[in-house]
Amino acid sequence: MNDASDDELVARVALGDEAACRQLVDRHLMRMLALARRMLGSHADAEEVAQEVFLRVWTHASRWEPGRAQFSTWLHRVATNLCLDRLRRHTTDDIDSIPEPQSEDPTPQEELERQDLARRVDQALQALPARQRAAVTLTHYQGLSNIEAAEILNVSIEAVESLLGRARRQLRVALATERDEWLRKSVEQG
Amino acid sequence: MSGYVKVWNKADEGRGEAMAKLEMTLERLAEIAGAYGASPKLWPVDERHAAEALVAGSSDARALVAEAGDLDRLLAMAPAVEAPSTELLSRIMAARPRAVTGLIVSREERRAGLWRSIARIVWPYGPAAFPAGALAASIMLGISFGAALPSSVTAEGLTSLGLTSAAVSASASAGTTGEQLVSFALAENEYPEDWKK
Repeated sequence: MNDASDDELVARVALGDEAACRQLVDRHLMRMLALARRMLGSHADAEEVAQEVFLRVWTHASRWEPGRAQFSTWLHRVATNLCLDRLRRHTTDDIDSIPEPQSEDPTPQEELERQDLARRVDQALQALPARQRAAVTLTHYQGLSNIEAAEILNVSIEAVESLLGRARRQLRVALATERDEWLRKSVEQG
Repeated sequence: MSGYVKVWNKADEGRGEAMAKLEMTLERLAEIAGAYGASPKLWPVDERHAAEALVAGSSDARALVAEAGDLDRLLAMAPAVEAPSTELLSRIMAARPRAVTGLIVSREERRAGLWRSIARIVWPYGPAAFPAGALAASIMLGISFGAALPSSVTAEGLTSLGLTSAAVSASASAGTTGEQLVSFALAENEYPEDWKK
């Protein structure tokens, strides 16, 4: 059953096959969690979205039409829309609320710097307008093509390219200092 | 999305998929790398080969892609995503669809189900075979009584076997087996206070 396609698994899910449910979760949960985490900046919120995504899979499994759409694209679409809905409802979220990395053990300076850089990159991502952030998340982090991103965001390919272009310009400005530091260190380390 | 020219190759038309060879320009490559980053696998599929060819042959093109690569590497420094909690997995699996049995029921099964539910209302103490058997036995006994009654027994005759005299008639005047049986049966219905009269 490991080689079963998503369509086959969904058909078995509709019949209440526990193994198929588990395999579908194993196959897609981490990617849905990653998408929601990049979009929302919070692991707890991302878990809520991921749970909602799978509840919708369970609910719609019996109505799934194989071949009509790619299952993973449909999943991304559901997750992206759930994230965009949340962001619309919570527009006043403070990006400075992104927690500092916690560590109980003494951490080497290099690791502290890496964690600090990670937080600043995350802040820059969270500062993007929601749809630009979605475009960057889908293509850069989820590795989807421009065609898939356009389908998920329900826009044209040209619109996706425009969203991505604007997002990356803003990120380049926001992370200019970090980029310079990173380049300097790269030169120092040879 | 300007700055390039699509040149359709006639030999590609029969493949069913739109294939295009593109004349890539630095301006268009800047747009592509500026939007999709430095990795050719994320570039638009119909422009990828032309863009890669330009990068291979132009230092200016390589500089454009390298600049996009700097941002890609910074974005890759974003915090790693934590693994899903066991609670999340439990919640998702607890809500999964369950196998449903007996959903498709034949007409016969539905009819049997109706009788069974009626029997359950009448006899809610377990299998309905016992009360059903008792009912059948009662019916058979009734038919036996009816068949045993002589045809001469009329309404008048039954009246003459009134409740007060039933016991007497049962022991003394009953002439036939049927009459005796009826007398005994009616005598059972006599109340004790009637005996005192």
